[in-house]
Amino acid sequence: MNFRRWSALTKRELLKLARNPAAIGTSLLLPVLYLILFGQGFSFTSFLNSLPPAQRTAELDQLVLGAPDYFSYFAAGMVGFVSVTATLFIGANVIFDKLFGTLKRAAATPATATDIFGARLVAGSIQPVGLAFLVLGLAILLGDVGLAGLHVTAQVTVVGAAEVVAAILLLSLMFASLFLALGFTIDQPQTYFAVVNTINLPVLLTSAALYPWGQMPAWLQSIASYNPVTLAVEVLRINFFGGSLYPHPAAVYLLGLVGWAVALFAIATFLTARALAPKT
Amino acid sequence: MTDAIVAEGLVKTFNGTVKAVDGVSFTVKEGEIYGFLGPNGAGKTTTLSLLTAVLGPTSGRATVDGLDVFHHPHDLKQRIGLVFQESTADQDLTGRENLEMAAALFGVALRETPRRVDELLERLALADSADRLVKTYSGGMRRRLELAVGIIHSPRVLFLDEPTLGLDPQGRAGFWKIISDLRKDHGMTVFVTTHYLDEADGMCDRIAIIDHGKIVAEGTPSELKDRVGGDVVTVRPLGKSDGLEAALHALPGVTAVAVQDGTFRVKCPSGDVLIPKVVAAASSLGIGLASVSLRRPSLDEVFLEFTGREYREDEGPTATDRAVFLTRLQNSRRGQR
Repeated sequence: MNFRRWSALTKRELLKLARNPAAIGTSLLLPVLYLILFGQGFSFTSFLNSLPPAQRTAELDQLVLGAPDYFSYFAAGMVGFVSVTATLFIGANVIFDKLFGTLKRAAATPATATDIFGARLVAGSIQPVGLAFLVLGLAILLGDVGLAGLHVTAQVTVVGAAEVVAAILLLSLMFASLFLALGFTIDQPQTYFAVVNTINLPVLLTSAALYPWGQMPAWLQSIASYNPVTLAVEVLRINFFGGSLYPHPAAVYLLGLVGWAVALFAIATFLTARALAPKT
Repeated sequence: MTDAIVAEGLVKTFNGTVKAVDGVSFTVKEGEIYGFLGPNGAGKTTTLSLLTAVLGPTSGRATVDGLDVFHHPHDLKQRIGLVFQESTADQDLTGRENLEMAAALFGVALRETPRRVDELLERLALADSADRLVKTYSGGMRRRLELAVGIIHSPRVLFLDEPTLGLDPQGRAGFWKIISDLRKDHGMTVFVTTHYLDEADGMCDRIAIIDHGKIVAEGTPSELKDRVGGDVVTVRPLGKSDGLEAALHALPGVTAVAVQDGTFRVKCPSGDVLIPKVVAAASSLGIGLASVSLRRPSLDEVFLEFTGREYREDEGPTATDRAVFLTRLQNSRRGQR
């Protein structure tokens, strides 16, 4: 990869993003609505408040693996959720650049497929990573204004904070790779959105992002254990609420996430190079 | 003069059945403006895409600036400039930002970049709108920006794909003046596809006429016109024309007579001398004439000669459009001198 070419292409992506405040605004809206409408209304663990403390803790341990309430559990899960939903559009942008000819222009220069892919990957991951931290900040803030909010009950160490950041970065880069690969491979926006929706929902619904773990049937728990969204949000939950109820330390979940990210990155770079090679 | 472009037996088949380019071979000398002329769907853009490594060939080989196109596509892109038929500049960026990005992608030295960008903006009359978003540019400005992006790295060979499509006569004449100046200043080789006969005639050193994926004629514009055989007198009889074809053949100086839809096309070295004889011959046979017209050889005639059909109006500019274009081109050339 050539640094100057990569940085020029990255700058282009960031300029386009900065000049489209409507897109930034609408991407903020979805997680905010989830936190305020769904999160507040669905904060079902409040019915446990009437139980004696020991019994309440036991119930919460079983349901949400040591989180102080469902909202706190859900807020960590929302980070996984936004990493998927906010990266969807970077693949669509590739398709629009194909239709408008700008991708053809870049491919006619000495820029390699790695330069083009790398620029879009990094620029495209900035928004979901930013949104993830915004979700965490807003979730904590909601608790401070008397609503259901994110209550971090464990002592977050420097290593723990680094693990949280790494999990958010890896998850965003991984889904950005996946959606970029689809964008470079598919030519029509309609087909792209059909494929993405087919991937998006099953990935989220087979993860522990929103479901209380204790309420999931065993077969779904087995699937969710390998889901990258689950792996990422478990890293957050272990660091926010303690890891005694989890079968592995956060580092193991991170390692699983690295495996997913490497595999998807390799597939995506291969597909991008193939899409940008001279057509035979 | 060395060869800047060599194409040998290029073939491109799509989906295993559609032969878009069918055994195309030609050479372009260094510093030449070489035109690829043909109607829509003739194989012009496909040939250009093969020569610029946008497409891989089904068979054949090509070198550009001494590089094997199909084995060194990456090195090739550094040496050539490519101006696409459609606008490919980023509309959400300014003209200057587009050029700066292109400079980085083509590896123009960092300290050289601002000077080069300013120089091109000035030369292509975009300096005043350099910091406006491209989405606010007119069609002509976009074409000029497209050209600026294509030559930001001072390529040795410039490929232009229908570069003036959609421009008004003034815009087309201005565009060609820039190309002509670039060739004069930098000795750049230019390969251009066009379906505008007047452009090919007025601007190209040599022309290849392509039809159905094959080159049907190649040469300088005057060579091609000479091959048509001089002037063409077109004779339209009023009614029956029995015996007229033989009578026209018998006239002195006539080299060929072709009949199409009841109209006679008579080739001869000097049409104005022949016309009175044509009228007399028709009169002696008792044949009335609706019209007799003289056409000096043009690329329209060349096209008709080598493809067997007229160049359709919807494949090129209107007669008025062409007249205005040629006038402006001549004016700009006079200004140049």
